[in-house]
Amino acid sequence: MSPLDLAARPAEKPLTAAQMLKLYQLETADLENIQSFGESVVPRLDDYVTRFYDWMETQPEFEQFFSDTEKLDRVQRQQLVYWQEFFAAKVDEEYLDKRRVVGEAHARIGLPLQVYLAAMNVSMKLITGNLYKSGLSPDQYATSIHSVSKLMHMDCAIVVQTFSARVNRIMAEQNDALMEMSTPVTSIWDGILLLPIVGIIDSSRGQDIMNAMLAKISKTRARVAILDISGVAVVDTAVANHLIKITKATRLMGCETTISGISPAIAQTIVELGIDVGDIQTTATLRDALVYAFRATGVEIRQAP
Amino acid sequence: MQGIHNAEARIAIRGESDVARAIVQARRMSQAAAFQTVDQSRIATTVSELARNILKYAGQGEVILRGCVGATRRGMEIIAEDSGPGIADTDSALSDHYSSGGTLGLGLPGVQRMMDEFALESEPGAGTRVTVRKWL
Ligand SMILES: Nc1ncnc2c1ncn2[C@@H]1O[C@H](COP(=O)(O)OP(=O)(O)O)[C@@H](O)[C@H]1O
Ligand SMILES: [Mg+2]
Repeated sequence: MSPLDLAARPAEKPLTAAQMLKLYQLETADLENIQSFGESVVPRLDDYVTRFYDWMETQPEFEQFFSDTEKLDRVQRQQLVYWQEFFAAKVDEEYLDKRRVVGEAHARIGLPLQVYLAAMNVSMKLITGNLYKSGLSPDQYATSIHSVSKLMHMDCAIVVQTFSARVNRIMAEQNDALMEMSTPVTSIWDGILLLPIVGIIDSSRGQDIMNAMLAKISKTRARVAILDISGVAVVDTAVANHLIKITKATRLMGCETTISGISPAIAQTIVELGIDVGDIQTTATLRDALVYAFRATGVEIRQAP
Repeated sequence: MQGIHNAEARIAIRGESDVARAIVQARRMSQAAAFQTVDQSRIATTVSELARNILKYAGQGEVILRGCVGATRRGMEIIAEDSGPGIADTDSALSDHYSSGGTLGLGLPGVQRMMDEFALESEPGAGTRVTVRKWL
């Protein structure tokens, strides 16, 4: 695959109505089939709703999601509108938007996707079976069902996409929250700061670390700081550059920073990357860094007799 | 545990969190394949460099991680591709300290040093693909 082919892959941008019609092979004839099938079904939609809720009530989720009657009324009215729109079969941007709203509404209340799809399955059966009375030849009937199922699959796909977009959004938010999960610069001794970093350092987090360190130094007048990176997933050139800059900036404020927790593996990759660590103070373990920090601040550690 | 030769992961790179996912996945796969700690670190760092380049210079793209089999050995292959602006002068891009983005300019040459096989294909205006391999 050439890099160019990437452009042809489905992007995050939602498809247009024309693209959706093409993807689900919905031709003008299909839409007409749906409309004429609808002529026999739409007048009986009340019956559909009754039967649908006969089924829904047998589901364990019913109590949880449709307990109060006011809500149930509203949902049932929306459901009528849904099928009226379906059988109007006017698939344009507005139609797609409405389907996304349906997906959002179900995803928001936490209805399992499985229940939604099972409900659509029951709907399909009711609409093509119980509701349909007569008027079409067996051939015409089969063709209509085919057209109806195409549009139904498209509708379901939109809802599934909305569900997964929501999950992705939540994941991204959680990730951000985790990233922001503070940069706990702690004053562990008079004049000594400690900041353990865990996870992945990107440029915004690098900046956060810098800000937090400098603010704490100016507040505590710390002379020594330890930046422990034993929990950092990778030290690439960008991360190394951040660390170097942080130590330089703290030095300008009169605070010497030691980077601790450099494992043998990290040490080797840093060398292979070709990074010039200059005169940065580094140690393999946090313990070594602490010993150094105590010595630098004139604290003597002695074993109790 | 899944054998490395049939494992494959494709990670769309569109934001920082995707870079993080790619790194975690690379770490997991290299660990499962029983790479030494140093090599795991080289692989994770490579993925980080390449994914960050995609974000920084192309905006978006994809990282593919998979097991690969050579004549006498097994290993791991990393492909980073995008349809961004491409690289006009690949020789410069591969030399130490060259950067058009004001950073260290050690990513691509560093990756080349850390990996066993390295290939950079790029066409200005069409995109960039970096393919690297590390053998067990
Ligand atoms: N995916 C890419 N698309 C376009 N240009 C790239 C890409 N990756 C790298 N480059 C070019 O190669 C140069 C060197 O990259 P690298 O060695 O990673 O250093 P840095 O990222 O610090 O600039 C970049 O400055 C950029 O000009
Ligand atoms: Mg780079």
